[in-house]
Amino acid sequence: MEKYSLGEFEEIVMLTVAILYENAYGITIKKEIEERLNRKVSVGAMRTALSRLEKKGYLESELGEATAIRGGKRKRYFKVTVYGKRALDYVKSTRKQLWDAIPPIAFDFKHQY
Amino acid sequence: MEKQKPDISPPNLPLKFLRWFCSPDLLEDVEGDLFELFEERASENPAKARKLFFLDVIQLFRPGIIKNFSFFQIRFTMFQNHIITAFRHALKYKGYTAINLLGLIVGLASSILIFSWVEDEVSMNSGHENEVYQIRRNMYQASGEIQTTGAIPQPLAAVLEKEYPEIDHVTLLSWGMETLFRMDKETSYESGMYASQDFFKVFTFRFLAGNPSTALEDKYSIVLSKSMAERFFGGTKEALGKALLVDERQEFIVSGVVEDENTHSSITFDWIIPADEFIARNDWVESWYNGGFAMYFSLKNGTSIVPVNERIEQEINIHTNNAADERLFTQPLKEIYLYSEFKNGVSVGGRIQYVRILTGIAIFLLLMASINFMNLATARSSRRAKEVGIRKVLGAQKSLISQQFFVESFLLSFISVAIALLLVFLILPYFNQLTGKAISISLADPRILLYILGTTVVVGFLSGSYPAILLPSFGIVPSLKGMIKGTKFNHSFRNSLVVFQFIMAILLIIGTFVVMNQIDYILNKNLGLDKENLIYFDISDEIRGKEEALKNELNAISQVKNVSFTSGNPLRYGRSTSTAVWDGKNPDDVVEINVLLTDPQFFKTMGMELLEGRGFSEELASDSNAFVINEVAARLIGYENPIDQRLGLWGIEGSIIGVVKNFHMNSLYDPIEPVIICNMPGNTSMAFVRVFGDIPTALTEVEKVTKKLSPSYPFRYEFLDQDYAASYQNEMIVGKLVRIFAVISIFISCLGLFGLSSFTADQRSKEIGIRKINGANSWGLVYLLSKNYTKLIIIAFFMAVPLSYYLASKWLENFAFHFNMNVSIFILAGIVAFLIGALTVSFKSFQAASVNPIKTLKDE
Repeated sequence: MEKYSLGEFEEIVMLTVAILYENAYGITIKKEIEERLNRKVSVGAMRTALSRLEKKGYLESELGEATAIRGGKRKRYFKVTVYGKRALDYVKSTRKQLWDAIPPIAFDFKHQY
Repeated sequence: MEKQKPDISPPNLPLKFLRWFCSPDLLEDVEGDLFELFEERASENPAKARKLFFLDVIQLFRPGIIKNFSFFQIRFTMFQNHIITAFRHALKYKGYTAINLLGLIVGLASSILIFSWVEDEVSMNSGHENEVYQIRRNMYQASGEIQTTGAIPQPLAAVLEKEYPEIDHVTLLSWGMETLFRMDKETSYESGMYASQDFFKVFTFRFLAGNPSTALEDKYSIVLSKSMAERFFGGTKEALGKALLVDERQEFIVSGVVEDENTHSSITFDWIIPADEFIARNDWVESWYNGGFAMYFSLKNGTSIVPVNERIEQEINIHTNNAADERLFTQPLKEIYLYSEFKNGVSVGGRIQYVRILTGIAIFLLLMASINFMNLATARSSRRAKEVGIRKVLGAQKSLISQQFFVESFLLSFISVAIALLLVFLILPYFNQLTGKAISISLADPRILLYILGTTVVVGFLSGSYPAILLPSFGIVPSLKGMIKGTKFNHSFRNSLVVFQFIMAILLIIGTFVVMNQIDYILNKNLGLDKENLIYFDISDEIRGKEEALKNELNAISQVKNVSFTSGNPLRYGRSTSTAVWDGKNPDDVVEINVLLTDPQFFKTMGMELLEGRGFSEELASDSNAFVINEVAARLIGYENPIDQRLGLWGIEGSIIGVVKNFHMNSLYDPIEPVIICNMPGNTSMAFVRVFGDIPTALTEVEKVTKKLSPSYPFRYEFLDQDYAASYQNEMIVGKLVRIFAVISIFISCLGLFGLSSFTADQRSKEIGIRKINGANSWGLVYLLSKNYTKLIIIAFFMAVPLSYYLASKWLENFAFHFNMNVSIFILAGIVAFLIGALTVSFKSFQAASVNPIKTLKDE
């Protein structure tokens, strides 16, 4: 039914990757989410989400430079693909459609009492 | 304080694990991320960073990250199949499953409870951050004995601070005291200690208000526990700066409030008052020749205790010109709670014994439960032979079949652990009540998780290993033909496990009897005085000078038989001197003798028996320098006929007028010490009142009289016999625990026996049918079926007796006074075990023997 499958957490991760633009790798993404949304993100949960998104084609990644602080290991930078952008657009627009379809009276709580 | 730069590399084990499971595409950057995170966290708190690293790795262990193990996928399908068969099998034979689970659950729950108790004991004092040592003193007596004490001369503190570069802070700490506190109209007794300034620098207590480093600077300051602050002032913040009247004598200003139980410390208090204030009133403390306070010190970071130990040994000998040889040594804070007993200057343990005993019991119970599982699985192995045969025909390797049995046992062990944990949470409040502890088990604690995981694996492995090794070794053809009958080895292996189980159960039964007998002995021992209906209370400061009036008024009460004032409780006495002199004593010999100060009514009130001579007389003025000694002192002093012989004390020249029968001044762990009893009514501080008849009226009358003379002190009294019993609370708690777990151990072994015997009865049902048709009666058959297992119990009994005798006598050796073990204990334990075991076995046998033979014989 749905054209693009994107979970709530996946959506957050993708948006964060977009926010960080050139600097989106494991730690920065984790921190950005934790700071902006004030929620705890485990390395495991985030890492699986990233690989899943990459497998779906929403994200692409490349290995960057190594730094001493990381025990000589390279960083993997993520970028949103065009297809990913479309998925985000789709989610946003479907949400918007739904919002627009809500009759104003539904959220007018004063009337109900 | 400068903390050393910690090791900043992440823990190795989780890293290895990560490298093993992580998909190679992801490994590099995941590892890098973890390193980066670790580095950042480690700069704040290295220990926490390591813990979080561990957690992160575990959270990464999930599909999507785990690499494709090719063999894993095949295994996984089989694994699923094994779980399904395990469940089917468990449900098909509900009885056996129930026995297995019940045994495991009970055993696990008991062992978890015991281990949590052990953990609580072992971690005592671990909350204090510094490396703290207590100083102890060995006093070498002329008799060759060595007495060990924690009372250290106060001037040593200054020496340690000045001359020992390794020592950071030194603190003096008094013994625990109960003191009267007053705030306006409100009064209550609170227990606490006097401590010198650096107390809170040596020990770690969390301050809720006030400054730990300055809290004890002012002589009239006081630090309260949170609970006491709340009792008096309604809160911690409110208490700060307020005044409390202590002992109706002096006001102290609250300078700090500390958390009650944050450090899991064996040093507990409701108040701490600067030691200076105590010393100002008791200048005897300030001498190298006395010792009142305990002394603790903290070591500077990175220094060793060894040079301190070497130097400190002779400090008392250097600073005194006593003939006595007194040597100092140190004991780490971690040990003072568990290793508090010394005999002849050598540590002989203490509570650690109970920790060991209970750890042993916990391991026993786990083993017993695993044995049940193993036994039933092997016994029933023939049942599963066909299944194993089919699996083999279809191409299962041996390893796959042993995997199957391991899966089964791990599954059962996992389920039991889960249920056992639930049970533990339910029982914990009662367990805490029983042991007087505040143990809490939190699943968030990684150590608990590790323990749970560990027990699941160990129990699963122990209980699954034998069937997993044995069953796959059957040949295919005999398996399929159903020709697997338990091998001889199998059979004897099972029997030896049953014997092993019953050895442990009988050991625990005997242990229970021994502990119960000893507690009984303690409570009913003739202590050399009549402790029944004897109340005692402290004589308050307000009564000073009015002692005669109090005594007269008390005697006037019709329910009071006698009244006597003493300098302390004769069942727990600890005031001694080495200044006693007598004819023939070598002046260079040091002999520590207890001194009890009392009045002429003492012997009558206590119900003590005078063996020779007489007690003090009220009429004879010369009795003010007369002494009564106990038998031990008489032997020590060595007069052939001690009456009217010379004896001097504290410069008072006098003579011995009587010898009193030994009474127990210390716990029954220690031998009776010599004591000199002096007639000095002016130096007493405790009133003993022997009451009779209507006790409640007696108590109200005594209270009325005391309150009249001492209106501002609340009246508090203690019954001597109750107080005595309370001092053996530890022994009673351990006694109760041992008793409970002995019952559980019997229960578990009987479960196993029940399972085995019902299995045999099942297997031999046809044989029984034929025997019945040929005229065997039920009782003969019961005998036939039970005799093997009852034989095992008898063998176990004879093996358990010497072992338990050895262990029990080791425990009893701790007591200078203990009951004499006799054969009856062992026989009784044997009968109990035999009866319970035989009943269990014959129950199932009887069932089998009373079945109509047609039923068992008709189907083939």
